[in-house]
Amino acid sequence: MDISAPPNKRARKLPNLDEDITGIRAILSDEFDEEIALIKAHSCELETKQQLQAVIQELSQKLPHFQHLKRVQDRSVLICPSSEIGVSQSLEQHLEQFAFSEHVLRALCQGVRVVEVPERMPRLRVQYEKTLKHWPCKFHPNHYSESLRNGSNFSSAQRTFHKRIGQLLVRLSRDINDNRPVGICVDPRQPSIVSIAGTTEVCRPHEHCCMMLVDFVARSQEGGATETEVTFTEDSKEDTTLRGIPKAYYDYLMNNEDYKDLTFGAEKSRECKEVNADQGADNLAKFGPYLCTGYDIYLLQEPCLMCSMALVHSRAKRVFFVKNSDNGALATRFQLHSVRELNHHYEVFQFTTKEDEDLT
Amino acid sequence: MAAFMEEALVEARRARDAGEVPVGCVFVHGGKVVARGGNEVNVHRNATRHAEFICIDAILATCREKRLPARQLFSEITVVVTVEPCIMCSAALHTLGVKEIIYGCENDRFGGKTVVDVAAVVGHRIEITGGVRADEAMALLKEFYKGDNPAAPPQAKKKK
Repeated sequence: MDISAPPNKRARKLPNLDEDITGIRAILSDEFDEEIALIKAHSCELETKQQLQAVIQELSQKLPHFQHLKRVQDRSVLICPSSEIGVSQSLEQHLEQFAFSEHVLRALCQGVRVVEVPERMPRLRVQYEKTLKHWPCKFHPNHYSESLRNGSNFSSAQRTFHKRIGQLLVRLSRDINDNRPVGICVDPRQPSIVSIAGTTEVCRPHEHCCMMLVDFVARSQEGGATETEVTFTEDSKEDTTLRGIPKAYYDYLMNNEDYKDLTFGAEKSRECKEVNADQGADNLAKFGPYLCTGYDIYLLQEPCLMCSMALVHSRAKRVFFVKNSDNGALATRFQLHSVRELNHHYEVFQFTTKEDEDLT
Repeated sequence: MAAFMEEALVEARRARDAGEVPVGCVFVHGGKVVARGGNEVNVHRNATRHAEFICIDAILATCREKRLPARQLFSEITVVVTVEPCIMCSAALHTLGVKEIIYGCENDRFGGKTVVDVAAVVGHRIEITGGVRADEAMALLKEFYKGDNPAAPPQAKKKK
């Protein structure tokens, strides 16, 4: 590759996302993505390794810091975060209050240095490797997190399907919905399209595409609250329902050769909540449809905070989106899925487009 | 304004009697209740039908019917709700620009003030006062969660 050539400043054509969705990238919560901050810590250097046992034993009782770090590196031992030591205090003065035995106290005050150590335990190998140059750290590799990071969590067939639905969002917005936002809900088990929703001209200020989508999913479960002039598809089969899909979208897809092989319809709500007791099955398989449990949500636009939380309440399994939004709450302004206190968490993915690649 | 909390509690009890999570809300404008509602999640099978949204929709319907400017009306509305609005409702209320929010008990699971600073994300801050008749609001919730949510799958019930 010729790196001396000037960047290609071709005229920006209107983005033709239809053909341009190139990949999928997981948006991991901050603890996976961020570089691990360093904090200052006091360490000492023992004269011999024979001292280690006694020193570590007393340290772990009296100064139980650094659970995420290895306390010893060769003959160096971590004592405490430097911030614990008072401004006008020496290390020795600080340690006096902990009543160390005399020989340990003497050992702790030898070869004292201030070192930088990682503030928390790394979650991914890349983070772990970066921490190594500072101080040895504990690390529990997680295969699934690593696969999300490197993209191997999807099989190539799955990846192709997700990208197809991503491209479908772009097409439906362009061909049916005047370039306004569109969302699709998919039951990933078949996979089958459960619902489609798009914002319309008459939408009220808070009726975002995502809010309509969860309401249309409710329609597939004989619920739904929003009054709408949209006509929905009539059912033609016994065991599944098309009532979550507006007729305009359904007809478009039925009459389009490219989408002949897509499956449509949601499992109907189960009368009594009989348990399909397959050990290890997820809640959707076990109990049948309930809100968006087990369902995947695909959105043209990154959802705002209201919509992102609506998807938490609805227990969506995964959220995929194409374009960032100025008020987006999964990547742009906030990462709602990073908030640990919430009672449900979904995974978040963004489609990468040809444009993104041109920028990098 | 705190006097209107009784009205919100009436809505919360009504929701409880209908088998919904007992949260109630009234919107107050010019010293009068202009919208009222309780949770309607289970009946619609839609987890976003919180009491606040029932009221928001009522106001928007009024605005449409009477051709009133919604933006202006919301800016003069005080929201009185028995439980701290969740992140979703709080985001909606901040975006619509209501005048203030008064709530009963805190929502430490997904409160729009306690768990996430919604105002910072939305980029607009409004006055929020909590703790008004909090014990009564909390007692309603506790009573409800002792029983089963009839709409939730059995496994979700067990956790509660």
